[in-house]
Amino acid sequence: MSITGIIVSSGIAFGQALHLIHTEHHLDYRPIPLSKIPQQQGKFAKALQELQAQLTHSQAALDSDSENYQLIEADLLLLEDDELIEQVNDAIRTLQLSASVAVERIFAHQANELQSLDDPYLANRAQDVRCLGQRVVAAINGHLGQGLDKLDKPTILLAQDLTPAEFALLPRENLCGIVLKTGGLTSHTAILARAAGIPAILSCQFDADSIPNGTPLVLDALNGELCVNPNPDQQARLTVTFHHEQARRAALQTYKDGPAQTQDGHIVGLMANVGNLNDITHVSDVGADGIGLFRTEFMLMDVSTLPDEKAQYSLYCDALHALGGKTFTIRTLDIGADKELPCLCQEIEDNPALGLRGIRYTLAHPDLFKTQLRAILRAANHGPIRLMFPMVNQVEELDEVFALIAQCQDALEEEEKGYGELSYGIVVETPAAVFNLNAMLPRLDFVSIGTNDLTQYAMAADRTNPQLTRDYPSLSPAILALINMTIVQAKAANVKVSLCGELASSPQIAPLLIGMGLDELSVNLSSLLEVKAAICQGNIQQFSALAHTALQQDRIAGLQQCITSYK
Amino acid sequence: MYEKTVTITAKHGIHTRPAALLVKEAKTFDCDVMVECNGKQASAKSLFKLQTLGLYSGVTVRVFAEGEQEQDAVEKVSELLITLS
Repeated sequence: MSITGIIVSSGIAFGQALHLIHTEHHLDYRPIPLSKIPQQQGKFAKALQELQAQLTHSQAALDSDSENYQLIEADLLLLEDDELIEQVNDAIRTLQLSASVAVERIFAHQANELQSLDDPYLANRAQDVRCLGQRVVAAINGHLGQGLDKLDKPTILLAQDLTPAEFALLPRENLCGIVLKTGGLTSHTAILARAAGIPAILSCQFDADSIPNGTPLVLDALNGELCVNPNPDQQARLTVTFHHEQARRAALQTYKDGPAQTQDGHIVGLMANVGNLNDITHVSDVGADGIGLFRTEFMLMDVSTLPDEKAQYSLYCDALHALGGKTFTIRTLDIGADKELPCLCQEIEDNPALGLRGIRYTLAHPDLFKTQLRAILRAANHGPIRLMFPMVNQVEELDEVFALIAQCQDALEEEEKGYGELSYGIVVETPAAVFNLNAMLPRLDFVSIGTNDLTQYAMAADRTNPQLTRDYPSLSPAILALINMTIVQAKAANVKVSLCGELASSPQIAPLLIGMGLDELSVNLSSLLEVKAAICQGNIQQFSALAHTALQQDRIAGLQQCITSYK
Repeated sequence: MYEKTVTITAKHGIHTRPAALLVKEAKTFDCDVMVECNGKQASAKSLFKLQTLGLYSGVTVRVFAEGEQEQDAVEKVSELLITLS
């Protein structure tokens, strides 16, 4: 049996099941008689004491500068907070609630209030407050448990949720994996699990009763699956994957923390292409300098209505928070062509790849576009954002885009909402964009070459047709010439130039692209360390020489020969 | 009564950890120290209430206190609001 979840910390783990809290938190909803009020208040006070003692105990083992120590400190401050204690005791007295219901109500109210805050970082703390409330309820019910002192066998921990404090309490020896039913991607626990290198998946809807403690499990946090009672085949297959993954990682890990720098000191920006918030949380795991392409269309998949400005704003803020100051490049909605979306009524076109897509679609639907632009402008108040527009062919489109942005800024100012300055760029993905680049460069801070579409449009070859992609590859003299023209023009105008297409994700081709003078590559998360290794192992003179030879080739075979003989 | 107005500059606002430090500092004073922001008031000694104020980057906060060491208390809390991140 396999159950899926969202990967927050990747890896593979083998171990036996252990449930952190066996009982669901029982709430006693019966109204209490007046005579029992002091008893319930006493229960609450005792629960607080127990929990405080447990937290103080676990805190003692930690370094006082560590993040965990300070998070537990915050939990402790809440547990001794006079306002909080008074509110719970009031609820017991005036509403005749049992201690557990009173706690649940006051903590839920607090969490809701936090959630409604305009600032996503602060609003995120709501989940931590809810977890603490659940712990108090568990203490009232006498289910606090002793904490796990020690695990004898490799263990995969299963729980409804896990607070940072609970995480701190866990013994590290033999703790191989974590599976949670709830948990947000930006929750502290997710971040801590990742930092500790413990494979973890969240939002995993397992049935606690069908997995008793001791059940053999394999957590495949490469594919987001929990395998219960694996059969010999699965066990063998995952063991092979595990060893392969261990060896590959160990070899590549040496490159993680350093810059993508050649032997002779040339530094290249190495960014990641991502399509959702979850990916963003992995960016530092793979040693990326930031995000070179954030595809925002994913927000629209599988939803019946468009996310509003507030939802988008908080998404972008979450991303900024997860990135902690690293480069964040957003591509505005790239709708049309092969991307059909249930929540938009798209007109049927004879030739969608040549139709209303990318910037053409968003300019034709200004309300949709303005919602996104406003959310991004507001988010930029919380951290630096680079914004780029897909499918821009000519400067007239940029005129329209910047006019809309100015409108959004004026409106935000009138509404007294804060917004930040953005850096602007375009995705160069049509031959026309290359030829019109000089007119557009004065208005841009960067350009990013999208080689997949650039190949499709330069070759007039549908990129979804496998036969055509084989005969008309991106690594061809025509496409290299277009890339080269883009680089030369951008450099002359002092505009940064990046490449975010599939070409950059190949460790064999990346050295050629850098040799051609690109400042930055943006690649798939899974290829990032391999590309970094290829950069770090070479030097810029070799790369330039490779580029020089490659640009003289007039046949695809000759180019491929260059690449193969370089390695 | 002594009071002071400051602006939060910490990029991610006064979230859980800095708020906890602030509360601990405020508790060392005997007088009541209040924080007002976004039209809401809270005691600087209560993390529970302080959390709900929305002390995010860019907001203006009024800190005031009444009683013994009121000036010291307000100065200390204001300083932390500006410097913590």
